[in-house]
Amino acid sequence: MTATATAAPDRPASLAEAVDGLLGRRVSIRSLALLRVLVGPVTLLHLRPFVTDALNGRIYRDAFYEPYASWYPELPRPLYGVVLAVGVVAAVAMSLGFCTRVATGATFGIVAYNLFLSTTHVHSNRAYLVIVLAVLTIAPCGRELSVDAWIRARRGHPTLDPRAPAWPLWLLRFEAAAVYGASGLSKLVDPDWFGGTVTWHRIVQVRDRLDASPLPGWAVSLLADRPFHTVAAKLIVITELFIAIGLWWRATRYAAVWVAVCFHVAIEVSASVQVFSLLAIAALVIWAVPSTRDRMVMIDPENRRHRRLVPVIGALDWLARFRVVDGARGAPVTLTDRDGTVSAGAPAVARVLSRLPPTAWFALPTLLLPAARRARRHQIPDPTGHAGDSEGAVRPGLAAGGPR
Amino acid sequence: MVDPCADLSSWEGHPCHGLGVDSRARVIGRRLLVALVVIVQLALVARGYWSAHKEFAFQMFPESSTWRAEIVRVTADGTRVPVSQPWAGYRWDELVTGRGLGNPEFRHHADAGLDNQLAFLDAALDYVADNTPRDGETRYLEATVTTWHNTDGPEVTVIRSDDRPGAT
Repeated sequence: MTATATAAPDRPASLAEAVDGLLGRRVSIRSLALLRVLVGPVTLLHLRPFVTDALNGRIYRDAFYEPYASWYPELPRPLYGVVLAVGVVAAVAMSLGFCTRVATGATFGIVAYNLFLSTTHVHSNRAYLVIVLAVLTIAPCGRELSVDAWIRARRGHPTLDPRAPAWPLWLLRFEAAAVYGASGLSKLVDPDWFGGTVTWHRIVQVRDRLDASPLPGWAVSLLADRPFHTVAAKLIVITELFIAIGLWWRATRYAAVWVAVCFHVAIEVSASVQVFSLLAIAALVIWAVPSTRDRMVMIDPENRRHRRLVPVIGALDWLARFRVVDGARGAPVTLTDRDGTVSAGAPAVARVLSRLPPTAWFALPTLLLPAARRARRHQIPDPTGHAGDSEGAVRPGLAAGGPR
Repeated sequence: MVDPCADLSSWEGHPCHGLGVDSRARVIGRRLLVALVVIVQLALVARGYWSAHKEFAFQMFPESSTWRAEIVRVTADGTRVPVSQPWAGYRWDELVTGRGLGNPEFRHHADAGLDNQLAFLDAALDYVADNTPRDGETRYLEATVTTWHNTDGPEVTVIRSDDRPGAT
């Protein structure tokens, strides 16, 4: 459903009403659909060691394990193997969006069941995976980017509303922030951690591996330097807390996302964290503003360089943020942002790339360049929300209701 | 088309407010579920500060602490036999794998903290005591654990499994 109310809305009468309005607001679930696609492979990576062991004839209870509760059901060996196999199939189906609701529910159920079979199975990255899968199970995230949507279109059925009440998205945002916040807070209140003792000592313990690594000698010396960790530990704590808090505000969100990617890459390189880095980076898509096709890119259809931008946006606009329209001949590439701000030329292209998930990390720093900042000018938004699109025709396949 | 419900940074004055499309029961159920999840998550984060197992507390890389253990089987006549020696067809490193417990005689990093590591070791002793039916001589297993909390000096702790009935 599309809300088009024009009358001045009432203020919420109470906090409860405000909360209810926030939770029930219908927003685009596109980011959760994209996360569903990305989490499928992550789930397969998570299940791989369990499946590999099972194929080799070993399962969790062939060695030390510790059930959480005596009543927790444990399956006969062959059935446990079948459940893992179903989990693999369900994860693939979930990622593809085939029978999405059932597949996602099955994936969540199996991953959660397997996790709670033993205290030894639980790690933070697996707990986070279960949380993400739980939210994906709740949210109707199969209406886009799915085989289900494709089949529906093939059969001529009307497209399902890609929007839904926002509360699953808010919950996942809370959980994602909680992961960074809890981790940062636990380090902040631990004097050994905040003072640099823990990180320095870990480096000392693996010094022989560092010496054998391709790192240059000066880098190894720096990493093993105790005063370096006095500063570095504080930076790590501040980084985690900045990500946890910064993701909530528009002014800091892009910086927080950019820092988070760097942070997870650094963790992946320096530590063994199972699927945590992949999962956490994938989950960053939930911080995109949950609306689609509310930015407009105007190109000169006669300009070959402009035309090259169209398939790039078509292929990489996973969050469906852009409409591409044909503009006047000889005009530069022009981006009209959702707030009506207009940029043109190279800054507009940089801005577009900064909003496409695969290129965002590379393009975001360019927005700090003075030229990019100067290039933005404010335009009075069109009350219909189609700022400036009266000049051009929407390019097929890149408008609302375009490719799923 | 621009979605007027999209700008989530400003709730007040929002045109979607008050559309009233959900039933009262659904609205209250949603509110309760979200509140429950938030409260449980915060409780689990808090629990991580005192619990050995820190499920959903997300305390990552908490310590640089290390540990090492000498584990013996204590037989009915008091003989102490290191578990590094196979017994009754059992091997410690086959019975206990993962979580760094397979080779306890070597000094390991307690990657989720010392409390967590000792809790796992304690449970592993009980597991071995309970799951070695061919062993008729062991009364209990005992681990003498040396721990180093971060850069602190060593501390020694002794952990015992439950007594095994029927040891002769």
